[in-house]
Amino acid sequence: MSAPELATTGSSEQAVALEGFVVRSHPTLRKALRNRSLLTGGAIVGTLVLIAILAPWIARYDPLQQDLAATLQLPSWVHWLGTDELGRDVWSRLVWAARFDLATGFFVVLFPFAFGTLIGTLAGYYGGWIDTVLSRIIDVVMAFPYYVLIITLVFVVGKGIRGIFIAFALADWVTYARTVRSTTLVARRMDWAAAARSGGLSDRRIIVHHILPNTITQAIVYAMSDVVYVILAVVTLGYLGLGIQAPQPDWGSMIFDGQLFMTTRWWLSTIPGLCVVVTGIGLSLVGDGLADVLRPE
Amino acid sequence: MTIPALKVEGLTVEIARGRESFRAVDDVSYALEPARSIGIVGESGCGKSISLRAIMGLLPDAARVVAGAVAVHGTGLSLEGKGAARQRRGHLAMIFQDPGTALNPVQKVGEQIAETPRLVLGETRGRARERALELLRHVGIADPERRYDSYPYELSGGTRQRVMIAIALASQPKVLLCDEPTTALDVTIQAQILRLLVDLREEMGLSVVFVTHELALVGQLCEDVCVMYASRLVETGPTPAVLERPLHPYTLGLLRSAVDLDEELEAPKPIPGSLPDPARRPSGCPFHPRCFLATPECASTTVTLTGLGDGRASACLHVERLLTEDGRALQEAAAKAAVKPQDPAGTAGGDGRG
Amino acid sequence: MAEPLLTLRDLKATFTVPGYGVVRAVDGVSLEVAAGEIVGLVGESGCGKSTIGRCITGQVVPSAGEVVLDGMKLGRRRSPQQRRAAQMVFQDPASSLNPRMSVRAVLAELLRVHRLVPRDQVERRCRELMGLVGMPDQALDGHPHQFSGGQRQRIAIARALAVEPRLLIADEPVSALDVSVQATILQLFDDLRQRLGLAVLLISHNLAVVRYLSDKVAVMYLGSIAELAQRDALFADPRAPYTRVLLEAAPRLGQIGKTPDPGLKGDPPSAVNLPSGCRFHTRCPRAEERCSVEEPALLPVHDGPPPAGGEVHLAACHFRAGHPGAPGQTG
Repeated sequence: MSAPELATTGSSEQAVALEGFVVRSHPTLRKALRNRSLLTGGAIVGTLVLIAILAPWIARYDPLQQDLAATLQLPSWVHWLGTDELGRDVWSRLVWAARFDLATGFFVVLFPFAFGTLIGTLAGYYGGWIDTVLSRIIDVVMAFPYYVLIITLVFVVGKGIRGIFIAFALADWVTYARTVRSTTLVARRMDWAAAARSGGLSDRRIIVHHILPNTITQAIVYAMSDVVYVILAVVTLGYLGLGIQAPQPDWGSMIFDGQLFMTTRWWLSTIPGLCVVVTGIGLSLVGDGLADVLRPE
Repeated sequence: MTIPALKVEGLTVEIARGRESFRAVDDVSYALEPARSIGIVGESGCGKSISLRAIMGLLPDAARVVAGAVAVHGTGLSLEGKGAARQRRGHLAMIFQDPGTALNPVQKVGEQIAETPRLVLGETRGRARERALELLRHVGIADPERRYDSYPYELSGGTRQRVMIAIALASQPKVLLCDEPTTALDVTIQAQILRLLVDLREEMGLSVVFVTHELALVGQLCEDVCVMYASRLVETGPTPAVLERPLHPYTLGLLRSAVDLDEELEAPKPIPGSLPDPARRPSGCPFHPRCFLATPECASTTVTLTGLGDGRASACLHVERLLTEDGRALQEAAAKAAVKPQDPAGTAGGDGRG
Repeated sequence: MAEPLLTLRDLKATFTVPGYGVVRAVDGVSLEVAAGEIVGLVGESGCGKSTIGRCITGQVVPSAGEVVLDGMKLGRRRSPQQRRAAQMVFQDPASSLNPRMSVRAVLAELLRVHRLVPRDQVERRCRELMGLVGMPDQALDGHPHQFSGGQRQRIAIARALAVEPRLLIADEPVSALDVSVQATILQLFDDLRQRLGLAVLLISHNLAVVRYLSDKVAVMYLGSIAELAQRDALFADPRAPYTRVLLEAAPRLGQIGKTPDPGLKGDPPSAVNLPSGCRFHTRCPRAEERCSVEEPALLPVHDGPPPAGGEVHLAACHFRAGHPGAPGQTG
């Protein structure tokens, strides 16, 4: 659209804005492609996810298959990262553990994310006694130290993946609820929210179409770091023997099992540890990048 | 000729934004005589506040002075470095638009005023307190003994602005820089603060730089006025003359776009278009895309402030037309031509050249 | 005379501030707005003018009194129909539009939800609304950050008009805009009144803006109306001392070199402890003993029947008919 054409239809005040539409047709996408931390983080996480998906082909052995005749072997062309104390191929276990840990992190976060966002939105939007009741419940859950609460819950409901799911579902939603509640409180007081209300729109419509698009980005950004927390928690629980049960390969149990051989076979626990660190860095970068990209101008 | 109380020469400030930088203040010069006031008028983003901060040595991190000199009563002041703000004590003081954020919320206002006499001028505690009480009285605060022990949140906006002025006066400045000091206040309180500034000027020989977006305020307070647009001064001169017969199309536009209680009830005449992004100033005269006098040369010629006698100056290529013809009539004729929507030539008063 | 479009009857709104007291933000306001009329509501911050607007749109629940709009008594629970009847235009263009929604999404949603036009006409109506506020059709694709303050205000007005309201409440619609842009929005209101016969309650602290647009003006002080009159009567012959003080304090281009006269000292008293008698007597330059005891009612300033065609000029002052020894008018 050329400027002289516009001069006949409107003032240059309009022309200025119109230039903008053409240049920034997909502002979010453009911002995403220019954001370094998002690109770096995306590359790291993308690689890990790809490895996890392709685990059946990348792994060279069955991760559970023991070979007591060939325990604690050094890295070689046959076993790229050697074998563990039960003669299992470390590389294969590492790859399958990536698949398991990443999936766990992602799925465990889903429920707290959805439930917390819902509760936070309701409390922030309606206020009054609804907010009072929900906020008190949040406060009570928050009063417990996070890890102690998770460990206790896993201890009560039972070890393993089921226990981890339930523990996080019960303990982790409060962070989302609190974040979303405070952003909803801000959004609700904006003039545009008042305009939507006096425009005769229903509460449900205002929440879904107007409030949530503004508040959910914070929750999404937090979810990225939360996946890291969950993976760390699973690793920690595995270390305490409360987490993933043998023989399922998992980075936490690999670190735990490998530490006995720290002096002679240091890579048995160090490499799974590095995997956790790299995943954490990748997801944090993605979270940072998303926060930048999703922020409205 | 007397030495001016404040002399600003060629002040140029650049602000970094991302990887690029732009001139937020471009070659601004003016001189302020002792015990007089100068008004700097412009709309948001024109650089008027940044220019004050540069003079005060309070620029934000992204901004820096790239050229220019500032002198108070003939004493040159450095424009950069850590000591820049300290060096201004006794010369310059500044008050801000929002006295709510400019005061320390957890310190008694009296102590905030007494701080300068005690720590800077080396007065004893008792003398400093007396001085603070005296200043509170001076800025028109009733019952200063009681107000000395108040915290900022206990005070109204008008009283807080008075406290800010008292703090500014505590360092015994010769020039007071005011950055929209009444914009956040109600009209009756605004009138009180303006009255106070006038009184201080008369009693203490204080010179005042008054930055505002309202021409009417400048008319009532300042002998001289500088009109700023897109980082540059476009017109300067004695206030009555400038308001009576503006010699820059922007000044004229600004005057006629405001509704005023004294004007006949005619429709205000808006300036077409909108303010340019300071980082993307139009070429040549930055006002040309919105100007009713613009010709193709305006887009290519750099215009500078040119003296016109009687202390007046204008940065307009076509200033002689404003000198010889009736600016209002010219503006209206241009507006009429712009309304015709089917005009095939698209010559809507220079609108299309943006 | 025809039934007014909007009637406020003895409207009161109070807020309890914990540890502070009960703030009487609006303290018995009665006001009428006729169809196609622009009524200015002017006063300083904290006088309750914005709260009145919020009471009408339902953002604030009045503690007493009635809001009757277009024959409907608007209560606490409102049907979508009732909520649509009064629309608000806000002061701050930065927060008046949802940063996540395109202009089209905002307008089309309102049109669809209320079935204001057939589905296939939604796009056409969106364009029509843009035209009404002087924006090009392409602006429908834009998001708020792409527009200047003046443009956002136009879009906010288009949004308000989308639901076909009977009354527009404009709360400081130009205060946050640059001077050169203010005029375009003022002209837009003028234009909309002429084209659509829209009634507007114009809330502003700016006397010049109120004078330019309004047919009738109410001056408020500490939650109640100090003076109410046709525009010309009020500005030519202000009778309440507070109105005069406001007029004298307002900056004017025509008074070069004359510092505005503060006229009164000090700040307004708190709305928690309203002064006895006339609420303005603590600051009034003409207060007498009677003023601190007896609260003046809002009464006609002229004796006898109201002037033909015009409305009655009301003032809440014991000396509204003329103060002994005082000049008749100022300015």
